[in-house]
Amino acid sequence: MISESVLFGRGFWGPIIATAAMLLIAAVGGLILLGGRRLTKAKPSAGKLKTYACGEELEASDIHADSEQFFSPIRRVFRPFYRYIRPAHSGDLSTYLFWVVVGLIIILISIALVIGVG
Amino acid sequence: MISHAPILAILLPLFAAFLMPVIGILSRRRGIKRAREWFAIAVVLAEFAVVASMLPAVWGGQVLVYQLGGWQPPWGVNLAIDGLNLLVALIVAGIGTLVMIYSFVYMERDTGLDQYYTLFLLIVAGMMGVALTGDIFNLYVFFEIMCISSYALVAFRRKWQSIEASIKYMIVSSLGTSFILLGIALLYGLVGSLNIADLAQKLGQVSPSAVIVPLALFVTGLGIKIAVVPLHMWMPDAYQAAPSAVAALFSGATATVGIYAMVRVVYTLFGAFAIGIMLAALGLVTMVIGALMALAQRDLKRLLAYSGISQVGYVLLGIGLGTVLGIQGGLFHLFNNAIYKTMLFMIAGAIIYRVGTSNMDQLGGLWKNMPVTATLFVVGALAISGVPPFNGFASKWMIYVAGIEAGQPVFTIIALITSALTLAYFLKALNSIFLGQRPKHLSDVKETPLPMMFPIMLLAVLCVVFGVLPQLGIDIVRPAQEAVMNSGGYISAVLGGA
Repeated sequence: MISESVLFGRGFWGPIIATAAMLLIAAVGGLILLGGRRLTKAKPSAGKLKTYACGEELEASDIHADSEQFFSPIRRVFRPFYRYIRPAHSGDLSTYLFWVVVGLIIILISIALVIGVG
Repeated sequence: MISHAPILAILLPLFAAFLMPVIGILSRRRGIKRAREWFAIAVVLAEFAVVASMLPAVWGGQVLVYQLGGWQPPWGVNLAIDGLNLLVALIVAGIGTLVMIYSFVYMERDTGLDQYYTLFLLIVAGMMGVALTGDIFNLYVFFEIMCISSYALVAFRRKWQSIEASIKYMIVSSLGTSFILLGIALLYGLVGSLNIADLAQKLGQVSPSAVIVPLALFVTGLGIKIAVVPLHMWMPDAYQAAPSAVAALFSGATATVGIYAMVRVVYTLFGAFAIGIMLAALGLVTMVIGALMALAQRDLKRLLAYSGISQVGYVLLGIGLGTVLGIQGGLFHLFNNAIYKTMLFMIAGAIIYRVGTSNMDQLGGLWKNMPVTATLFVVGALAISGVPPFNGFASKWMIYVAGIEAGQPVFTIIALITSALTLAYFLKALNSIFLGQRPKHLSDVKETPLPMMFPIMLLAVLCVVFGVLPQLGIDIVRPAQEAVMNSGGYISAVLGGA
């Protein structure tokens, strides 16, 4: 009963129907892509394959996106978070042990508060 | 049920572990190739059969109680199997079998494989012991067997980085087990028993303030094992340094066993449903910090380790909510996490096996060389991000709804945002490894070998099956959820008329 209410009770989520619909949409998308390729055939040339970089010649391997740059705007938003959290992941064992002690104290106080209130 | 199945499930890998060096020596003397690998696979397959043989009885509502030496609980040590620990034993045996098959090829370039398979079987025995025992001191002993084997496995390749990670893991984890041991000592001093069911019964008559310190020691000790924030720092170092097969076993099975112990101790032993909200809050912090740290990683295995921390947060959130739906969703997510996290670590291992690195900045364009592996990575990434129609969606959906039903819509919103972050860092990994320009030195990279591909494919199929047919997964975890919520049934089954 519970599981049914989760999957079907609030609104409608039929996993089989949803999967079939996704596959159907993917097939339609694929057909449109194939049709498009047939209408306008790709004609690659050396000039077209070159990456435009203000006149500089770049090797294909040089234009691989650096993982540090990926989502850099998102990480810029969380910069204050990273400024505080990264030093805790320094690889320094004494830092790790310090946080274990902090964790123990937090958990002890939380349990005392919850059980005390209860 | 196979007779003596509960004890066989522990003894089988334990004895096989001690036999392994002998098998290794014999196979070298007689020139039998791969004898130790086949032996190890046969043992874990037998283990899976033994565990599976207990399913009908336990799913039929029984609690199997196996008394060692014929001593009645609480005087003797016993194994007590209900829906919760059988689910965990099933995950351990299943993941252990698949990782063992994966190791067949993945570890072939390493030396000292007698030790590797010995330690692997020891860790399986330790996990099975933690899962099945009905005695809290035995739980500690089996935890130590599991942990000591894992320290050695992390350092298995004896590189500077792996030895350093192993030592750090050993020191932090030993602190955790010390907390657990101290908690056990305090409980024994308080009520004079070590049997979980007996302890649970007697603790009901003790003043709540007396259990605060032992409970905090248990939660912190087990929190270190499952890498709850802020006790998680050892995990990325250890997972990155360990061979990928080992990391796959840790993420799929060891983490599951740790969460089981947390649930058993908090809900069955202490009956502390009141601190569920604290577990849920810990889960929230863990999921958010794990996801944000994963977003900043350059190494795939490190990214997966942080992702594992984040997923443990979801499980704790669901279980901590304490409602039927929350516990069911949390346990279903635990089950799903074991599937896709093992699979993703296996894929990371396949990339390392073929390319020699998991540094995403040195990879790229591998879709052309490893199309099947890339497709399987997409399945795993979408599943863990909670994208339909994969299994992660079903369990995360249950946790979201449970949050709203429990009157905690903020928890649900944070969980939803974290899912979006999960998808973001997996898209980054996908782009960095499989898409974009391929460095010249990677042009000759070959597809993952078939024996390594087989377990990955099987896990991918499970991701789809439990996503398209979530009811199947819910039916598997329901006995576990019922066991969590009915600790009285466990206690009376173990103690009988005592």
